[in-house]
Amino acid sequence: MRDATDQLQPETQPGVATAEGGLVFLDGPDGVAATMTPEAAAGTGQSLMEAAATAERQQAAADV
Amino acid sequence: MFTERFLRDKRGATLDPNERGRIEAAITEVKTFGPRKIVARAGEPLTNSTLLLEGIMSRYLDDRNGLRQLVAIHFPGDFLDLHAFPLKVLDHDVATLTTATVATVPHAEIDAIADEMPQLVRKLWFATLLDAAIHRAWLFRLGRLDATGRVAHFLCETNARLFSAGLSDGRRFALALTQADLAEICGLTTVHVNRVMRQLREEQLCLFRSSLVEILDPAGLAARAQFNPAYLYIDDDSQLPSVQRPI
Repeated sequence: MRDATDQLQPETQPGVATAEGGLVFLDGPDGVAATMTPEAAAGTGQSLMEAAATAERQQAAADV
Repeated sequence: MFTERFLRDKRGATLDPNERGRIEAAITEVKTFGPRKIVARAGEPLTNSTLLLEGIMSRYLDDRNGLRQLVAIHFPGDFLDLHAFPLKVLDHDVATLTTATVATVPHAEIDAIADEMPQLVRKLWFATLLDAAIHRAWLFRLGRLDATGRVAHFLCETNARLFSAGLSDGRRFALALTQADLAEICGLTTVHVNRVMRQLREEQLCLFRSSLVEILDPAGLAARAQFNPAYLYIDDDSQLPSVQRPI
């Protein structure tokens, strides 16, 4: 078992998305398993990219 | 005999002939339900508990959009709503998935058993604790495993449960569930389950077709599922081909 605090750390490995039969499958990280339409997947991807950019700016501001 | 599979090969809880006879005597009715029938609804007062003799049943919850999450599956030999004895109402619905035959045991009879045979009550308690252990494994499955791991874990668990009940040879068992059922068990979409089943087949881990599951690589499937059958308290789980010993 990992140290308890490890469980509280954010995931550092990306999930893997694949396309098949006109749908997008997201597997991982950990217990993530989702099936999305292309539109939902694109919207999720866009949202993730925007949130990632915001989080990077927050980290940079915190480092100053 | 109706109780042949109940607590069969369960560590320290297998029924002796007297105990078996007492439960048999407590059965007041045997009924058969068609597939996909609700047997008990959440919130309804219950005065009986149900021993599953044949078929597959489920416990489930629906979300606000009517989408279903199966929270437990029951196989022959499971005393599936023994919880209702102390609780008197359930917080979930119970339904058949296939045609199912059940034996009814009135709660008044369980009260009488409690007075007459306290050691048998401990075994009934064991059965509900076993349900709780399986629920914990289901939480782990949904919280920590990816899609393939979830399906693999369910198949390993089902194999072990049916093996214990005498309904699997350790590698092959009948399982009259649809991919939609597996999706509702594993928190996946039907197409995701379809893809996972193909992946398990291509990796030579497991086949599932025509309601028959064949585990091709028991150790590989168990490893993919992070499955350890210890929580099922099977008398001699070393007989299970997929057994993984704790490290």
